[in-house]
Amino acid sequence: MSKTVSIIITLALFMGFGIIFLGGSISKNNSSQAVQNSEIKDGIQYITINAKGGYSPKVSVAKADIPTKLIIKTNGTYDCSASLVIRSIGFQKTLSQTGEEIIDIGTPKAGQSLQGICGMGMYNFLINYNS
Amino acid sequence: MKTYTFHVTGTHCASCKILIEDILMNSTGSPQDEQSFVKSVRVNLKREIVEIETDSEKSQAELVDILNEKIKSHKYSLTIDKSIKENKKDDVIWKALPIGILFLVLFFWLQKSGVLNFGIGGQTTPTTSFIIGLIASVSSCLAIVGGLVLSLSAKISQDEISDTKTFLLFHTGRLVSFAVLGGILGAVGSAIGINFTFTAILGLVASIVMLLLGLNLIGVFVKNKIALPSSIFNFFRKIEHKTFTPLAVGFGTFFLPCGFTQSMQVVALSSGSFMSGTFIMLAFALGTLPMLVLLSFGAASFAHGKHAPLFFKSAGIVVIGLGIFALLAGLAGLGIINPLFSI
Repeated sequence: MSKTVSIIITLALFMGFGIIFLGGSISKNNSSQAVQNSEIKDGIQYITINAKGGYSPKVSVAKADIPTKLIIKTNGTYDCSASLVIRSIGFQKTLSQTGEEIIDIGTPKAGQSLQGICGMGMYNFLINYNS
Repeated sequence: MKTYTFHVTGTHCASCKILIEDILMNSTGSPQDEQSFVKSVRVNLKREIVEIETDSEKSQAELVDILNEKIKSHKYSLTIDKSIKENKKDDVIWKALPIGILFLVLFFWLQKSGVLNFGIGGQTTPTTSFIIGLIASVSSCLAIVGGLVLSLSAKISQDEISDTKTFLLFHTGRLVSFAVLGGILGAVGSAIGINFTFTAILGLVASIVMLLLGLNLIGVFVKNKIALPSSIFNFFRKIEHKTFTPLAVGFGTFFLPCGFTQSMQVVALSSGSFMSGTFIMLAFALGTLPMLVLLSFGAASFAHGKHAPLFFKSAGIVVIGLGIFALLAGLAGLGIINPLFSI
């Protein structure tokens, strides 16, 4: 195989990488902006995130200055997203395979954000707080 | 007594020096032997030359044939003139690059496709944990556990050591550690939580080892043969020669960061007895076994085949890709860098 052919194939494959890593996340981000995954009950804001083969929605927006709890739902989750780490509040736990984990994250301020990541680091989610 | 200098190719490891010297000395009879014509052998790995002292009347051209016959089976070759193999080597890397990257693209596409995310509901029994093991062995866990197995296997096979025994010990160590530690988790209950930071750091170490071995397989370090720190080399020598080390590395895979393994550890924790914990973890490890056995013995059979140089370079590229992925993910998991990607 000649060098040129090899370089062309390699570049084409790198574009494949681009599509795998970036293409998916861009379209997901757009769709997840619209998802309403928080509700306020009895003065407490609950944000729901599904954990299975990654976290969805990956980016969510929630209200600031209100006591907030995070609900992580697992449903037959055995992959990395079951081992959840939230560094900013010092949370790390391997979630049960099916169930809900309720995590108290206090009262966030506007402009803050909260990032959760799975133990191996390849899945993550982000919550932004707006006033 | 005359001294001849030959150029040697195929010396890829530090132990090659000893091996060539041994073969050339012993296969031509002991130095004291009347029949022996090779009186001393000196291998200079850096300059890729072999110096031979001989009292044979044969010409250098005849000697090169006789000596090549002896070391041919070990894939070394002697020439009188400096060989022009360099160009050929370059060709191989250009073939290996697309092959390696194609594997990486397929692998990450498989992760992204979500095919592997189907759920298994209900109670976790040894049967379901076996199935989960099967899934885990082609999941993103393969990036770290499989990458490590592939790079170590290729490296060991490349060094022409009795690889079958080493692989068997590694897989035995893995199965035993999963069974025993699973049992302990079941018996002790929640007392020992396996620390995320600890597994993440172990994952970083594994990914660095993968990167080094990957570069070594591609041949980045070939120019100056012994570029790896000697302590790392000693470590690999131990892996190759001792019984204990492959067992211990197999044992260590229990702690490598892998979401599936961690989930199963929690299942074993809550199972409540030594036996049930053992069965769940053992079944999980058995599920991951086919893929890992395929990787290690597949590497060995390629390594002894006709396309060995292509295999080593392709494997090197795959291992480097997986190593970079594992390294970035590990750093993100520790909160050192922001997650760069999400598959």
